Amino acid sequence: MLIDIAQLVLNGVMAGAILTTPAIGLTAIYAVLRFPNFSVASHATIGAFAGYCANVWLGWPLVPSSVVAFLVAGLAGSLSDTVVLRPLRPSGLITATIASVALTIALENMVRLGFGNSLRDYDLPIMRDWRFGGLRVGPQQLEDLAISVVAVGTLFAFLAFTRLGKAMRAVADNPTLASIKGIDADRIGQIVNFIAMGLAGLGGMLLGLDTSIDPLTGFRAILAIFAAAVVGGLGSIPGAVVGALTVGVAEELSQLVLPSDYRTVVGFVAILLVLSFRPRGILGARAY
Amino acid sequence: MIRITRRGLLQTSAALALPAVGRAQGAPMQLGVLTPLTGAGSFDGPRMLKAMQAVANEINAAGGLLGRKIELVVEDDETNPEAAVRAAHKLIDVDKVPVIMGTWASAVTTAVAPVCWESKTFLTTVSGADSITHLPHQGYLIRTQPNNELQATKHADFIIRHGAKRVFILAIQAPFAEPTRKYLTATLTPKGVEVAGSLVYDKDKTSYRSEVDQALKTKPDMLYLNGYAPDVAVVLRDLYRAGYDGGKFTQSYALTEKSLGELPKEVTQGVITAQPSADLNSPAYAAAAKRLGIATPDSYEAQATDWISIVALTIAKADEATGTAIRYTVRKITNSAAMVVYTAVDGLAALKSGKDIKYSGASGPCTFTDIGDILDCKFRFNGVDNGAFKFIEIA
Repeated sequence: MLIDIAQLVLNGVMAGAILTTPAIGLTAIYAVLRFPNFSVASHATIGAFAGYCANVWLGWPLVPSSVVAFLVAGLAGSLSDTVVLRPLRPSGLITATIASVALTIALENMVRLGFGNSLRDYDLPIMRDWRFGGLRVGPQQLEDLAISVVAVGTLFAFLAFTRLGKAMRAVADNPTLASIKGIDADRIGQIVNFIAMGLAGLGGMLLGLDTSIDPLTGFRAILAIFAAAVVGGLGSIPGAVVGALTVGVAEELSQLVLPSDYRTVVGFVAILLVLSFRPRGILGARAY
Repeated sequence: MIRITRRGLLQTSAALALPAVGRAQGAPMQLGVLTPLTGAGSFDGPRMLKAMQAVANEINAAGGLLGRKIELVVEDDETNPEAAVRAAHKLIDVDKVPVIMGTWASAVTTAVAPVCWESKTFLTTVSGADSITHLPHQGYLIRTQPNNELQATKHADFIIRHGAKRVFILAIQAPFAEPTRKYLTATLTPKGVEVAGSLVYDKDKTSYRSEVDQALKTKPDMLYLNGYAPDVAVVLRDLYRAGYDGGKFTQSYALTEKSLGELPKEVTQGVITAQPSADLNSPAYAAAAKRLGIATPDSYEAQATDWISIVALTIAKADEATGTAIRYTVRKITNSAAMVVYTAVDGLAALKSGKDIKYSGASGPCTFTDIGDILDCKFRFNGVDNGAFKFIEIA
């Protein structure tokens, strides 16, 4: 029994690690631009397909392909924000949120137009899992975990030590005060949006590495991503990490008491509990 | 300002109404198609649509139906019940079609069927869940796909014949999961094959590691994977990673040629797939192959061919294109003992000359029970070897 629980926790940590980068994307945009941008879903899909093109069509290895996923999704995010969401943001939170849902459906269908509906696999050798002490873990999972950890670590270092990172935190903390200090909140918003969508794209690729990708790759994960961001505290980047791991582990552990087909319920229940009892999330809404 | 007098209005409407009769005869007859063009059914949906379009073109080239050209109004059900219900309302309320052909996933058909029977629209489907024909559809539904009982029984017979001893059933959350488990168990257990356990999983997960662990703990020598292509692909990978090398059995729609091309060979090695087999020896099947320009149309293309053929012949027989007319007349085409025809065009010609007909289709004899199920059909079993399907048997 103990070993079963340990295996479930391990599976949950691996699943949670993959959710981390898109959850950070969602929460970072919320911190700076003050609306939940659900088009994170389609940008995750765009990243997954960009990484696929680099990996399968150009034959690039995993790490450069994941950089491509980041850059393409980030650029797509900048473009879609400039064209669609930015003009609508002054109309309020609800308008921008609904527009982001519409945007994600539109972008998803553009991917569908270009790539069709079929499942696509990355060009990676499939390997048997490694076993140790009754537990098993896949080499691919460890690689995903490593990429995710490096991406998150880089982001934290960027926010903590660079001038631009500090400016982002300032805008998230108090936009008025930041603008008095001469920080251009609009420009910071654009940069945050680029990085956030890039992270979503990277997350989309990580989601696909272990399985397959199709135009719905990001959409399938959006509930878990949103739950992770809310549980950790919408607007808090360390919160998104904690939230993603919590949701990942909770989904797996739920199988001890719930039939497996109720796994999706966990995301909803997590959102419900947090919003009822601790609306600021586990870590509260501090941006760093 | 224009003054509208009562007399003027009457005169104008009368003038407009008169040629309306003449116009209607030239207007195409719209028939509804609601197949999955996207989502888990997107491998079969577009091909079913093509098969129906091909028959419609053939009928149109031979003079049309009741003197009108057939025009298919196509909507995508997205393999999603909510989208499907929206699309069905559009087909029924806006396009006013008498029939909707093509729902694929059982959950979709379960959602769309009430919309159809409430509005007296006829529905033809390939969904296999037993519950579908037990819905109170009042005769407004037929399916050409064998139901769960027929499928599960034939699958179990195969598993018994090929010597498995312990079977675990992994199923997606869908209306067919429970009845299939029930009929598999009912057939396997008396023959000494133990059902070691079963599990229903959620469709939208990116990993089924924990589910696979749960299944493998029971030490099965055969896994019955009752899902759709996206999830079965993930399960197969997770089974390989977990080191499972035993038997794997699934539906042909869950492991298609396309997914075989994408998945690594090690992962699909040894998987057995089953599908309702089209009636390969039927002249209707040969005609469908020729019409579609494919050597061997599969069961779904054959079934789609049969729907539109049956619907067209029924409309011709009833001399009326309404859902109610189709509902009351369809068995005069499918269940009669009259002269057998194998294509819609032949049947239409025979009906025109006053003969009674029985349509026998590309998917099988197309004889329906009172609740809209087919009576019997054959199954084709394939095995995967080195990344390609190898024919095992038709039984």
